Amino acid sequence: MESVFRRGAREGVRDFLPLSVGLVPWAVVTGIAMRSIGLSEIESLGMNLLVYAGTAQLGTLPLIAAGAPLWLIMLTALALNLRFIIFSASIAPLFAGRSGAERLASSYLLVDGVYAICAEKALKSGDAQWRWGYFIAPSIFNWVMWQLFVAFGVFGAEFVPHDWSLEFMVTIALMVMVLSMVRTRPMLVAALAGGLGAVLLRGLPLRLGVVAGIVIGIGAGFVAERWQQRRGAA
Amino acid sequence: MIEGAWLWLAFVLMSLTTVGTRGSFILLGEKGRLPPVLQRALRYAPAAALSALVMPDLLLDGNELSLLNPKLAAGLVVIGVALRWRNPWLPFIVGMAVLLGMRKGLGW
Repeated sequence: MESVFRRGAREGVRDFLPLSVGLVPWAVVTGIAMRSIGLSEIESLGMNLLVYAGTAQLGTLPLIAAGAPLWLIMLTALALNLRFIIFSASIAPLFAGRSGAERLASSYLLVDGVYAICAEKALKSGDAQWRWGYFIAPSIFNWVMWQLFVAFGVFGAEFVPHDWSLEFMVTIALMVMVLSMVRTRPMLVAALAGGLGAVLLRGLPLRLGVVAGIVIGIGAGFVAERWQQRRGAA
Repeated sequence: MIEGAWLWLAFVLMSLTTVGTRGSFILLGEKGRLPPVLQRALRYAPAAALSALVMPDLLLDGNELSLLNPKLAAGLVVIGVALRWRNPWLPFIVGMAVLLGMRKGLGW
C-alpha cells in the first residue's frame, strides 16, 4: 500500500516533469557561463551548490568578472532574488507542522518552476503528508537535474575554443530572462527604466549605477502600474 | 575578477540572499504577512535588475555610448528570435553565431 506522502511525491514529480525539460538548456548555459568568465571547475560547482539560484548566478557573473565590491554583488543577488519573498509568503501555510530542518531545506530548495507548477494545488490540499510530498519531491528532483546539467556545462566548456566570446552567453541568458518577464506594460516600463537608468548613471562611483538602475526600474514599474489602474478606472 | 577567499565569501553572501528570501516566510511560520504595496513593488525588482545589468553591456563600448556594435546587433537578433520561436536553445545558438560571424567573419 502506497503511503500518502509517496503518492503526493509521485504526483508532484509527474506534474513538474514537462517544465523540467525546459530547464536543461538553462543549466548547461549557466555551467558554461560560469567557466567563461574565468571561474575554475571547483568554483563553478561550489557557486552552483551554495547559491542555487540561476538568475542570481548569471546576473552576478558580470560583476564578479569586473571585480565589483562584495556588497554590490550581494545587493544585486538580493534584487534578483526578491521575488522569492512573494513566493515564500504565499507558500508558507504549506509548512504548518513541519520541523525547522524541513523548513530550512525547503527554503534552500524553493525555485520558480516548482512554485509555478505546484504551489496552488499543494495549498488547496488538506492532507499535510500529501502536500509535503507534492512539494518536496519535485523540489529535490529539480535540484538533482540542475546540479547535473550545470556540471555538464561546466566540464563541457573545456571543449569550446577560448576565442569564441562565450561570456556573451551570459548576456543572451539575461536578455531571454527579461523578455520572459515583460509580459505586462508596467513590467516593460520597469525593465526599460532600469536598463536606461544604469546606462545613464554608469559614471557613479563603485558601480552604483546598477543599484540606481534597479531602484529607478522598481519605481517606474510601480508608477506605471498605478497610472494604468487609474486610466482603467476612469 | 574576484578570486580566492573573496570569491567564496561572495558565494556565501549570495547564498544568504537565496535562503533568506526563499525562507523569509517559510521560516517565520504563519506569523508574518507581506503588505500588498510592498508585494506589488517587489514584483518589478528582477526585471529592473536584469535589465540594469544587460543594457550597459549592449549599449556601451568601454564607457562610451555606442549604437553600432556587434553585441547590440546580436542582442537585437536574440530578442527577435526569442519572441518569435519558443525553442530554448535557439537564442543562444543564433546569438553566438551572429556575434562570432561579425567578430571573426567581418573583423568587427
